[in-house]
Amino acid sequence: MTTWAAMTRAQVPTDEVSYQHSPTGRAVLLSLVPVICPVEAAGCAEAIVDHVALTLGAAPPLLRKGFGAGLATYDLGALPRYRRRARFLTGERAERYYDSWAHGPTPIHTQFAHALNQLMSLACYEQPEMAARIGYAPGPWIEEVTKKRLSVFRDDVRKQDAQILAPDPLRPGVYVGRRKKAGG
Amino acid sequence: MVASSRPGPALIEGARPTNVFTRHELLGDTVLDCDVVIVGSGSGGAPVAAELAEAGFDVVVLEEGSYYATRDFTADTSAMVRQLYRDGGASMALGTPPVMFQEGRAVGGSTVINGGMSWRTPDEILARWQKDHGLDVSPQALEPYFERVEKRIHVAPMDHDAIGNDNWLLKKGADAKGWNIIGNLRNQAHCVGSNRCAFGCPTGAKQSTLVSYIPRALHYGARVYADVRVDRITMNGKRAVGVMGHVALNGGAGKGPSINVRAKLVVAACGAIHTPALLSRSGLQSRSGQLGRNLSLHPNVKVVALFDEDVTGWRGAHQAFQVREFAHENIGTFAAVNLPPSIIAMSLPHKGAQLGALMDRYNHMVVAGLLCEDTDTGHVKTLRGRPQAFYQLAERDAATMQRGLHLLSELLFAAGAKQIILPFAHATQICNADEARKLFANPIPRSSWEVVTVHMMGTAKMGRDRTSSVTDNFGFMHDVDRLLISDASLFPTPIRVNPMETIMALATRAAGHVIDNAKKFLQ
Repeated sequence: MTTWAAMTRAQVPTDEVSYQHSPTGRAVLLSLVPVICPVEAAGCAEAIVDHVALTLGAAPPLLRKGFGAGLATYDLGALPRYRRRARFLTGERAERYYDSWAHGPTPIHTQFAHALNQLMSLACYEQPEMAARIGYAPGPWIEEVTKKRLSVFRDDVRKQDAQILAPDPLRPGVYVGRRKKAGG
Repeated sequence: MVASSRPGPALIEGARPTNVFTRHELLGDTVLDCDVVIVGSGSGGAPVAAELAEAGFDVVVLEEGSYYATRDFTADTSAMVRQLYRDGGASMALGTPPVMFQEGRAVGGSTVINGGMSWRTPDEILARWQKDHGLDVSPQALEPYFERVEKRIHVAPMDHDAIGNDNWLLKKGADAKGWNIIGNLRNQAHCVGSNRCAFGCPTGAKQSTLVSYIPRALHYGARVYADVRVDRITMNGKRAVGVMGHVALNGGAGKGPSINVRAKLVVAACGAIHTPALLSRSGLQSRSGQLGRNLSLHPNVKVVALFDEDVTGWRGAHQAFQVREFAHENIGTFAAVNLPPSIIAMSLPHKGAQLGALMDRYNHMVVAGLLCEDTDTGHVKTLRGRPQAFYQLAERDAATMQRGLHLLSELLFAAGAKQIILPFAHATQICNADEARKLFANPIPRSSWEVVTVHMMGTAKMGRDRTSSVTDNFGFMHDVDRLLISDASLFPTPIRVNPMETIMALATRAAGHVIDNAKKFLQ
């Protein structure tokens, strides 16, 4: 067993939870890409499903478990009507089945369909191809305005940076601590 | 066990400021001694840390989230949400409708992800707090604290050329209606309109506590421990004597080594959702029965308006203006709040080709929102150590929001909008003021509203009377020694405006009280 004290920095876990879809979950989500995402996103289906896993990794554990169970139920729920699991439905049948949940018989159906829509739409427009398609390019813009701030407003920025550290005691002349840091 | 004393272990990473420690250094169980331990590094915790550190106190700040610097904030929206937001931004108050809420989880707390709106508490709210809750919070009494905060975080109007088209359209609509619209005051030093406020300011212009109060606190000798989740406040009889926690791993899901901080004064600054949970986990109760109750949310809703003209709202400052015309009706503000395409797509009920067609017009969208001063309250329960918020949108507040939406729609049509998508569960679109009038003529069921918030308040309210409030006038918990609460949970009522500056001013005032009574808190 590894003890904490024996760990090196490189071994310390990252800040992100590693979450993986179950094979069923992954298959269901892949089958939903053509239903929820625009046709232009077809080429990034795998990336969209991977991105949903990233989002779920950051979500509360209960929500992750509920979502996994929901996907399994969604998959099986198609059997009575379509004689096949949801992951094998395509085209209009896949769409009709999804809509039957979105306008479903219970709030659980509608909320789960809503969550599917939210997660997959988010993942879809996080794909660089989709962002580029709609003319969203924040990277170069951030670079441009950052440069502007540090050149045009250089003196004011420095002034504010200096102000943050400059001595300005809330109660002038009152130092209660055992020592005052040099420079303070 | 590692017993550490100032200045603490040497940093392994060179990129972080001295005296910021993270999970990378906290590899074994740790015991720390200090004068003041502060749980939380946002708008409530960081000002206390800076003021007390400068006054010579030995201050330790504990933050559950990680430490990120300005250079870490990128255009990758989803990664920023996962790293900077608690629960990946998926926190929810249960009720009808459920209310999604967001909290920051990083050094700097929610100030890293907020819009930076910096407004003083309205005079009439302070008057109400004085009259109904016996608080010494007149505008005159708070003036020096507001002034000090505004200087520290550089509260200023926006530079004209940083304002984007979405905000000019909002102004055009308000001007056409003859409504009161004001330039927003924000904590920014030459914001240049990257419009990434909610995902960590990548230019360093927004003066979140990450780049203002925390560096100041560090400069004056405070230590900041990131990636540390506090499990409970340790008590000796009625006196708070420190906190126990552990290193938070895997976004808080994993538990690392323990951390035990022994302090003469404990400050809980975890926000209105997590402060009552921390107190509850510590076995602390308020005889008032108000701990965890009185939750206000400033519920807000957003619409997406489509224009013929190019808007490209992501080039320009976030919320450069606020419409205040209807504050007297509890409709706090209207504002333009550009969002990245992935977040807009997520909020739309459309799918498939419809979603694609709509999103193809992303650069023609104005996202506008309104904030309501709520009149009813919810509560926070602690279940298995985790807080769960419950909140039922009151009928009258839903009616207020419905009126607000109607007015906001009129404004946007006056500005030239051709279509507005409303925040209801199934796509509701209107194309002109007549359609708006017809739609809003009848009440819209609360269950279909899509409500969100970032202003959680009131769950440990201040007051003179210990039978009806949780803390005293300064935020010290009644019937407990040396436990200061410093966040929006102190607010006895919602405040109608963005709460950051009020939290900071109250925190500064409380720090002054601690300095003035140093002997009492250092013995």
